[in-house]
Amino acid sequence: MAAAAPYVAPHQRDIRLDLFRGLALWFIFVDHVPENIVSWLTVRNYGFSDATEIFVYISGYTAVIAYSRMLARDGWPRTASRIYRRVWQLYVAHILLFVAFIAQIAWVSIARDTPALIEEMELLGLGQNPYQAILEAALLKFRPVNLDVLPLYIVLLAAFPFVLPAVVRWPLAVIGVSVALYAATCHYNWNLDAYPEGKVWYFNPMAWQVVFHAGAAAVVLGPRLAWLDRWRWPLAILAVLYLLFSALIALSWQYNSLSRLIPDWISRQIYPIDKTNIDILRFVHFLAIAWLVRLAVPADAAFLKWRVFEPVRRCGEHSLQVFCLGTFLALTAQVVVANYENSIVSQVVVSIVGIAIMCVIAYCAAWFSGPPARKAAA
Amino acid sequence: MKKHVLMAMGLAALAVWSGNAFAQSRDCRASRELLDLGNPLEIARTAVADEHELRIVAMGSSSTQGYGTTNPQFAYPAQLKMKLEAAMPGVAIHVFNKGIGGQDAEEMTARMRADVKPERAQLVVWQVGTNSAIRRTPTDQFANRLRAGIDIGKSLGANFVLMNLQYVPAVVALPDEEEYARVMAEVAKEKGAGLFRRFEIMRAWYNDGMPYAQFVTSDGLHLNDFGQKCIGKLLSQAIIDTIVPKKLTGTPKTSR
Repeated sequence: MAAAAPYVAPHQRDIRLDLFRGLALWFIFVDHVPENIVSWLTVRNYGFSDATEIFVYISGYTAVIAYSRMLARDGWPRTASRIYRRVWQLYVAHILLFVAFIAQIAWVSIARDTPALIEEMELLGLGQNPYQAILEAALLKFRPVNLDVLPLYIVLLAAFPFVLPAVVRWPLAVIGVSVALYAATCHYNWNLDAYPEGKVWYFNPMAWQVVFHAGAAAVVLGPRLAWLDRWRWPLAILAVLYLLFSALIALSWQYNSLSRLIPDWISRQIYPIDKTNIDILRFVHFLAIAWLVRLAVPADAAFLKWRVFEPVRRCGEHSLQVFCLGTFLALTAQVVVANYENSIVSQVVVSIVGIAIMCVIAYCAAWFSGPPARKAAA
Repeated sequence: MKKHVLMAMGLAALAVWSGNAFAQSRDCRASRELLDLGNPLEIARTAVADEHELRIVAMGSSSTQGYGTTNPQFAYPAQLKMKLEAAMPGVAIHVFNKGIGGQDAEEMTARMRADVKPERAQLVVWQVGTNSAIRRTPTDQFANRLRAGIDIGKSLGANFVLMNLQYVPAVVALPDEEEYARVMAEVAKEKGAGLFRRFEIMRAWYNDGMPYAQFVTSDGLHLNDFGQKCIGKLLSQAIIDTIVPKKLTGTPKTSR
C-alpha cells in the first residue's frame, strides 16, 4: 500500500480548483443573505451538500499542492513553520472579521437609530459579559452568526503539519484514520465546546476533517484514481441517481406537493441530515458531485480559461480575502434588504453588487501580489 | 453561447421561485383555538398582577437551546422575553433558558428540581416530546415522566405550559408522533397544565401551503430563524391572552 517515494505536487496550477473555489465563495455569500432569491442559483436547493463542502474539500486539496513540494525541498521544520504562518494569517483574518462584523452592527444601529437591531442581532454574551466574550472570541469559541467556517479551517490547518508527511506517503492510511475519527465522532457525539455555555462548534472539526483529508488524499491518489475508471460509467450512473434522489428530497422542502410523495419509511432513514457532524448523506452527495466533475471537467478543459470565468477564478485564487469580505458583505446585504427594501429586485441587486465588490478585491489582490501563476495556493 | 445557458438557468430559477411564491403563505399565524392554552395559569397571573414580576423557566431540548438559529436571540425563550416585555410594560420579565440539546422527558425530569428551584419560577414552559418520540420511549412511560416532572415543578410553586413536538420531516416520518402529542394533551389536562400546540400550529402552516424550507433547517429536524421567531411570537400571544386582563391587551401587534 505504501508509495515508493513521497508524493510531490507538479508545478502547473490546476485552475479547476480556483474556478470551483471561487464559485463556492460566491455561493456562500449569496446563501448567507437570508431568503435571497439568488440562492436558487446555488447548489444548496438541489441536494444535501452545499458550498461549505466544496470549500473545505478544495482547501484540503490545495494544502497538499502548496506544501508537499516545500516538504520535499526544505524539510519538515520549515514546512511546518510555513503552515503555522498561514494558520496565523487565518487567525488574524478571523479576528479582524469578528471586529469588523460587530462594528458594522454597532454602526448601523447607531446611524439608523435602531437599537432593536443590536438587540435582534445581539451577539449573545457580548452584551451581557463583553470581557468574557472577547476572551472566548480570541479562543475561537465565540463565533456569532456566520463566523463558523474560518475557525474550522484554522483547526484543520493547525493539524496539517502532522498529516502532511503521512498523506504524501500513505494516502489510503490517512483516509482510513480520518474516516475512523469521523465515525467515532458521530457515534460518541464528540464535539468541542463553544461559547455561550452549552454550545458546541457548528462545524465540528472532528467530523468535517473527513472532507478536508479526502481532498488532501485525492491529490496524492490522483494518478491511482484512474484505477476507478474501469467502473467509470457504473459509478457515474450511481452518482447521477443519487444526485436526482437528493434533489427530489431537497426540492420537497420547497414544494409540499413533492414532500407528500416521499414515503415515511424513506424519511425515517434519512432524517435528520445533520450539518454539524456532516451527515453521511451530505458527504456522499459531495463525493458524487466531485466524481461527476472529475469526469466532465478535465484539468486541461479549454473552457476553464474562458475570459468570462476569469472573475470567479480570481476570487478562488485569493480565497481568504474574498471569503472574509463575502462574510462581511453578506451582513451588509442582510441589513440593506431587511431595513430598506425587501423585494426580488433588492435581493438581486445586493447579490450582484456584493459579488462585484468581491471580484474587485480579488483583482486588486492579484495585482498586488504579482503574476498569479507564481502565487502558491492555500 | 454560455451567456445563453446562464440566462436560461436564471430564468428557470426565477420561474421555479415565483411559482413557488404564489402557491404558499409566508405569514406567521395560528387560529385562536390553537392558541388556547386550556389553563388559566393562576400563579403566573397573580405574580404579574400583584408583584409586577414574571419568572419563567424555559425547560427543553434543542428548540429551547436555539440550535438551528443563526443567533440565539431568535430562539423562542429570548423572543418570549422580548414580546412579554413589550406587552406588559412595568412588569419585570425573567426568562431562564434551560435548554439542553438531545434530552428527552426522562433526562429533563431528572433535572427539573435543580433547574426550577433556584430561579423561583412562577411559570415553566416545558418543550418536550420530540426526543422521546424519536427514541421510541413507550408512551405510558413517557406519560409517567411528564407527570413526575410536572409534580416536581408544581411542588415548587410553578404553573406549567407544555410545548409539544415540532411538525418537521424527521418527526412526521415517525409512525406514532401523533400518539405522543395526544399523550401530552391528556397529561396536561389531568395535571392542570397549559398546552401549547406547536405540532398542530405547525401542521396548519404546512397544510396552508407553507413549505418546510420556510421554517425548518436543512437537517429536517430543527426550526430555523423564522420558525423559532414565529413560535416565540405565538407562544407569547397565547400566554398574554391567558394572563393579562383583556382590556389591557388591546390588539396583539403582528409586526415582524
